[in-house]
Amino acid sequence: MTVLTESFWLWQFLGRLHPLIVHFPVSLLVVALVLELFGRIRKSADLKAGISALVWIGAISSVVAAALGLVLINQEEYGGETVSVHQWTGLATMALAIATVLALRANRLPLYRSLLFLTVGGVTVAGHYGALLTHGDDYLTSVLPFDKAPETPGPENPTFAFVNVSNQPLAPQQIEELTLQVRSIMAHNCYNCHSASKTKGELRLDKKELIFKGGKHGPIIVAGNPDKSELIRRITLPAGHKEAMPTKGKRLNEKEIELLTFWIKQGAPWPAGAEKSVYRVAALEPRTPQIPAGPAHLTNPVDRFVNVYFQQQKQSWKSPVDDRIYIRRVYLDVIGLLPSPEEVQAFVADNRPDKREVLVQSLLNRDEDYAQHWLTFWNDALRNDYSGTGYITGGRFDITKWLYNALKTNKPYNLFVKELISPNKESEGFVKGIKWRGTINASQRTEMQAAQNVAQVFLGLNLKCASCHDSFISDWKLADAYAFANIFADSTLEIHRCDKPTGKMADTKILFSQLGSISGKAPTEERLRQLADFLTQPKDGRLYRTLANRVWAQLMGRGIVEPVDAMDNVPWSQDLLDYLASDFTANGYDIKKLVYNILTSKTYQLPSVGIRDAGLITAQDFVFQGMVRRRLTAEQFADAVSKAFNPLYADSALVMKRLPEEIKKEIPFPRAALVKNDPFLTALGRPNRETVSTGRASQANLLQALELTNGTKFNESLKRGAEMWRQKYPSTDLLVRELYRKALNRDPQPKELALAEQALGKKPTVAGIQDLVWAITLHPEFQLIL
Amino acid sequence: MKTTWNRREFLQRTSAATLAALAAGAPMTSLVSGCRSKKPGQTDGSADTVILLWMAGGMAHTETFDPKRYTPFEKGMEGNRVLSTFKSVPTVLDGIHFSEGLESIGKVMDKGTLIRSYVAADLGHILHSRHQYHWHTCYEPPQTVAAPHIGAWIAKELGPKNPVIPAFIDIGQRFTVGEGEELKAFHTAGFLGNEFGPFFIPDPTQGLESVRPPVGMDAKRFERRNQLYNELISKGPFGEFGSDYQKESLKRSMEQAYMLLNSPEAKAFDLSTEPKETFDIYNTGRFGLGCLLARRLTEQGARFISVTTEYEPFMGWDTHENGHTRLEGMKKMIDGPVAQLIKDLDKTGHLDRTLIILASEFSRDMMVEGRPDAKVLEQVRQPDILSDLKFYGMHRHFTDGCSILMFGGGIKRGFVYGKTADERPCKTIEKPIKIEGIHQTIYHALGIAGDTHYEIEERPFYTTPDGKGQAVMELLA
Repeated sequence: MTVLTESFWLWQFLGRLHPLIVHFPVSLLVVALVLELFGRIRKSADLKAGISALVWIGAISSVVAAALGLVLINQEEYGGETVSVHQWTGLATMALAIATVLALRANRLPLYRSLLFLTVGGVTVAGHYGALLTHGDDYLTSVLPFDKAPETPGPENPTFAFVNVSNQPLAPQQIEELTLQVRSIMAHNCYNCHSASKTKGELRLDKKELIFKGGKHGPIIVAGNPDKSELIRRITLPAGHKEAMPTKGKRLNEKEIELLTFWIKQGAPWPAGAEKSVYRVAALEPRTPQIPAGPAHLTNPVDRFVNVYFQQQKQSWKSPVDDRIYIRRVYLDVIGLLPSPEEVQAFVADNRPDKREVLVQSLLNRDEDYAQHWLTFWNDALRNDYSGTGYITGGRFDITKWLYNALKTNKPYNLFVKELISPNKESEGFVKGIKWRGTINASQRTEMQAAQNVAQVFLGLNLKCASCHDSFISDWKLADAYAFANIFADSTLEIHRCDKPTGKMADTKILFSQLGSISGKAPTEERLRQLADFLTQPKDGRLYRTLANRVWAQLMGRGIVEPVDAMDNVPWSQDLLDYLASDFTANGYDIKKLVYNILTSKTYQLPSVGIRDAGLITAQDFVFQGMVRRRLTAEQFADAVSKAFNPLYADSALVMKRLPEEIKKEIPFPRAALVKNDPFLTALGRPNRETVSTGRASQANLLQALELTNGTKFNESLKRGAEMWRQKYPSTDLLVRELYRKALNRDPQPKELALAEQALGKKPTVAGIQDLVWAITLHPEFQLIL
Repeated sequence: MKTTWNRREFLQRTSAATLAALAAGAPMTSLVSGCRSKKPGQTDGSADTVILLWMAGGMAHTETFDPKRYTPFEKGMEGNRVLSTFKSVPTVLDGIHFSEGLESIGKVMDKGTLIRSYVAADLGHILHSRHQYHWHTCYEPPQTVAAPHIGAWIAKELGPKNPVIPAFIDIGQRFTVGEGEELKAFHTAGFLGNEFGPFFIPDPTQGLESVRPPVGMDAKRFERRNQLYNELISKGPFGEFGSDYQKESLKRSMEQAYMLLNSPEAKAFDLSTEPKETFDIYNTGRFGLGCLLARRLTEQGARFISVTTEYEPFMGWDTHENGHTRLEGMKKMIDGPVAQLIKDLDKTGHLDRTLIILASEFSRDMMVEGRPDAKVLEQVRQPDILSDLKFYGMHRHFTDGCSILMFGGGIKRGFVYGKTADERPCKTIEKPIKIEGIHQTIYHALGIAGDTHYEIEERPFYTTPDGKGQAVMELLA
């Protein structure tokens, strides 16, 4: 069973006839047995001639099938237990079929019948194993209701099957994947001693040519022949053997060994220029796609692009959501607050055709409310917090005042980025990073943190691998990461590979050299100014696509590209993404305008879509149908309770020393975005902002439910609120109506009113109110953005 | 080779799932794994539950489980003469002595293993919070992604043992004390997600509060409130929006919380039901009662519990002066409860599958800061000549030889591993063991595969750095 890389086509062709021909012996012999039994029961010999013809043809075809099977097995890469079971049962069946024919010919009928019976048994078994080869071994059982299928491959439980595949040549994409895995195994297990920094045995495994060249004892890989490959021999030697590899550290596990063996067996493929071609790289340049034609009622360009996408996906437009859902959505999305009952009522009663546009604009004009909402998103992304590691030793600076003002004044995004990269005293916290005392890993020095964070947040690019070694998930090299980090460094950085100095000094270069070149000799301040200018040029389409995609994801529950930090991934609509980015640039980098365009689109107004499993949101085969239903963030939830019922936080909770002084005059109540992280907010998903965080999980969990069910903070606040509400609303009916309007922006239905009255009685008690409010704030209708 | 896959299935399994998951950055288990039936690579292991007894602040090995020559205090004595400030006392193990004040633990050492060769990392500056971060996550801070606490890994991989008891419980640490933020940085599930994070019980006597209906709400009202909640959902118009993962997870979590708060197991959190006799043995303060709570929760099916003496700068084990005097108190705090915990769990048979670890972020010495060959910035004022009793103690941070105790869950009984020098520097001279080894031994005992990892931001993140941690098989029976 060797691999013949260039086998004669005819043999291959004949081999592949095997699956076709095998059906002859299978069916003919089975039919022969059935007719034979039928004849015995009827005690008739009418069918005798036919049966013997069937047996003859069946036997002959079994010989042909077996022969072709042997050709196939030698032509193509088959292996494994199933194949050998199939092969031997097949050959045995052939022998039985021949014996059957001979017995028939000799007219030894009882023997003939027994043999025929055995042959059919054999053909069934052989056929079954053959089918397993082509259909997979759970082909049948997987559809049975009582079969507990091992698992469905999904993000939680992926399966990797290279090592199990052997019957088909690999597709180019699979070869790339395989090569990537091989490189990854080598990088994590071998580079320590066999790469540029350390080259034991004159062997390097970090470059294609060098792997195939081998070490001082010659080549380590014999393509197609793992058994003769030194690499496999060394990694499979028993631990402790003096030639066993790796000599130190963890041995390769079985799967890793199987994968390397499989790779060599496949001929050790390494596509030419694999390092270059494996990864998709998104275009850097901006692009302005033409706005497609579309039905007259779709005036917003966003809708025109989505319309084209819908046509391609054979989807139709659903009716827009009603006013109540819409107003709740845009309030939460623009200012993070629930609308008041009066605002809802006025909006519903408004007859102007453009009332939705008017509403969105009026919300966007509420500068302070807007800033207090979007502050949370940017605090997460820019790793800005009011408390956290580093502050006690002066190793960290917050940028809250700068950020709040930037949002309040809707600072154009190009300036926003510029001021973060080439900072003033107030905005320097982002690129300064968090400095821990003591020795830290070279890939976490503050300059490298700056490089990683700028790349991730502004460019949707993962530089974290490359800051330790050449990346295996992208083309970025260690030297690139260091050159980029060096822009932030006061003295030239020495390149460290996996935390070990290499003796080489870093270059000074921007990640995308076409954006401009940084003068390495200029002082840091000047270099940062250059970097900020280069990165924010209109021709840096990537910067603006990344931003447009982040805003889209915030408003629609899922980015056009996902994950939002991996902008090299394929967008579900390239045109839409490109349009949003180029329109954003054309509009003077105005984030509010971008938000306006999205919120007033028919696309945003589509009914929300419920997703069965959180993992599906980031799936690459995601099909856009409308906004993905979102759950209120910790801050939105806290503020919603505060506004609809009773403030959760006291004025004293505001982190005044980090906030602008005028904040107290600008807030409707102490908003959760302006208080320190606490167990309540943590449980509801506010991240610890030690690292950049660009999305929040909205799945509920037990710890969260416990915090909400019996947490002191929440329950005490509800109790205080209940006391006030009881004073204000003496009758249950009035109270329940008001609560529904404030919390859910609608009137209670009769059934709901009845339930509430049943729980509260006619005259509400404090406990009763507290429990009703609790039940409503934990209701999915309150918690989700519909 | 097990089976052969057909092409379609192959494509489905690799391209779709693998690529999607890769691209999604979704946590995923071993990429290079074949088809695994349950959790990848898991075995039954020898333990189901882990209790970590955390000696926060740096517990000197020479003053506790690895005593050296005792030199009583004399005014004007040379500090360099002092290796231990306590007498040694015999333990139940032949030739093995503990420092005076740890007699009770000494008597249960036939049920566990004493490691005398833990070597803490060299992080330059010796800092409690960084070394604690390293001990609890196996990663040196800072990291590019938030590293999960070992308890979170275990919660993620094994889930709760009893569905109504949170899988990761942290007893005794408050975050309002100094360096609270630095402590928060590793008391987290990190990228694994809040779901696997710690359930905090800062004060074990208040444990019940966290698992019973809110203060002032009786069981009946709690029941009615829950009923109202369910009815409002089922009778409201919300159903028309169909189901999705947020709604379902919300409903499920609320049910779980309700079950927990209403479950008979919740009584385990109530220390007042413990017989006075045992309660008194445990009652040496919050740590001791934490041990009691840990025992009660273990009996009801806890997965991972951490009980700490609590880290607060210059408090507890963090002795920058008065080391001798203060350690008398610290030993009183731990000796009775730890020994009783072992005995109780052994008596009920729980010790067989409960792995107990007693450890600290590093050790202390009177003279050496850091390690002998890599001295670092001195942080403690310690005169060479001891003019006052307050200078008599191990006040500097020492990383080169620390003691760890392990009991139960498949760990050898009555075993001693490793050795430190008998003269200063009292550093590890036999069988050094690092944090990767400790973590991997714990994972191994729990049956969690050594290559367990998740893709986060497109990179694999392993339980131990690069998945290189090796279990120390010699520790296991």
